[in-house]
Amino acid sequence: MKTITYVIQDPIGLHARPAGQLAKAAGAWKECDIKITVGAKTVDAKRIMGVMQLGAKQGNTLTLAVSGPQEAEAAAALEEFLKNNL
Amino acid sequence: MSFFKNLFGSKHADNNTSVLCAPLAGEAVAISEVNDPTFSEEILGKGVAIKPTGNQIVAPCDGTVEMMFDTGHAVSMTSTQGAEILIHVGLETVSLKGKHYQVHAGNGDKVTKGQLLITFDREAIAAEGFDTITPIVICNSDQFSNITVHTGTVNPGDELITLTK
Repeated sequence: MKTITYVIQDPIGLHARPAGQLAKAAGAWKECDIKITVGAKTVDAKRIMGVMQLGAKQGNTLTLAVSGPQEAEAAAALEEFLKNNL
Repeated sequence: MSFFKNLFGSKHADNNTSVLCAPLAGEAVAISEVNDPTFSEEILGKGVAIKPTGNQIVAPCDGTVEMMFDTGHAVSMTSTQGAEILIHVGLETVSLKGKHYQVHAGNGDKVTKGQLLITFDREAIAAEGFDTITPIVICNSDQFSNITVHTGTVNPGDELITLTK
């Protein structure tokens, strides 16, 4: 399993649209299981509704746990996505 | 009338088909007309958009509020038949930080079709330069074999999206 953490920089936080984009980016890694944790909440990163429910705001730490055959590539790609979008 | 009642009655009784009603009054248009690629390219899922003429968002079906954004600009809910619905009131409206929006339901609330979720000041939002077009998308579109949308003038409660599992 690969784990990455990211602190949200976007002043608006992980609102509806970026939550959907993040879920889509995670969904591209079909063979990986990807979970996101913020505080006490952990959700399936591929479920748009779940990612939205995190209600993550600026300054919150996202922890992504990626497991599967391409976990290193998936983790790197998602880290890049977070840096570019949040 | 009874013929139609029966027709719709049998439709609703079918477990594989469910209907979402318009959550607001306005003109329903194809999602491809939304001036935001996240919606128009169906990145968040299939759906439809309404150019509002009203100022209230009501529940399109019975279900549970999953995420009421505290800014009131968007709400997501799961229907009792398992459709995950996002209603996004206006484009880029997250940046209003709740101004011109009032929320009437909270996360985890069980709601019934037609129940008030959000009121918004359409004129004030438009006056600040925002597009008030409101996409309604099915986030778990891949779980349905067919999603049919209705376009044209709609009022709350009118049939808007038909989902087939």
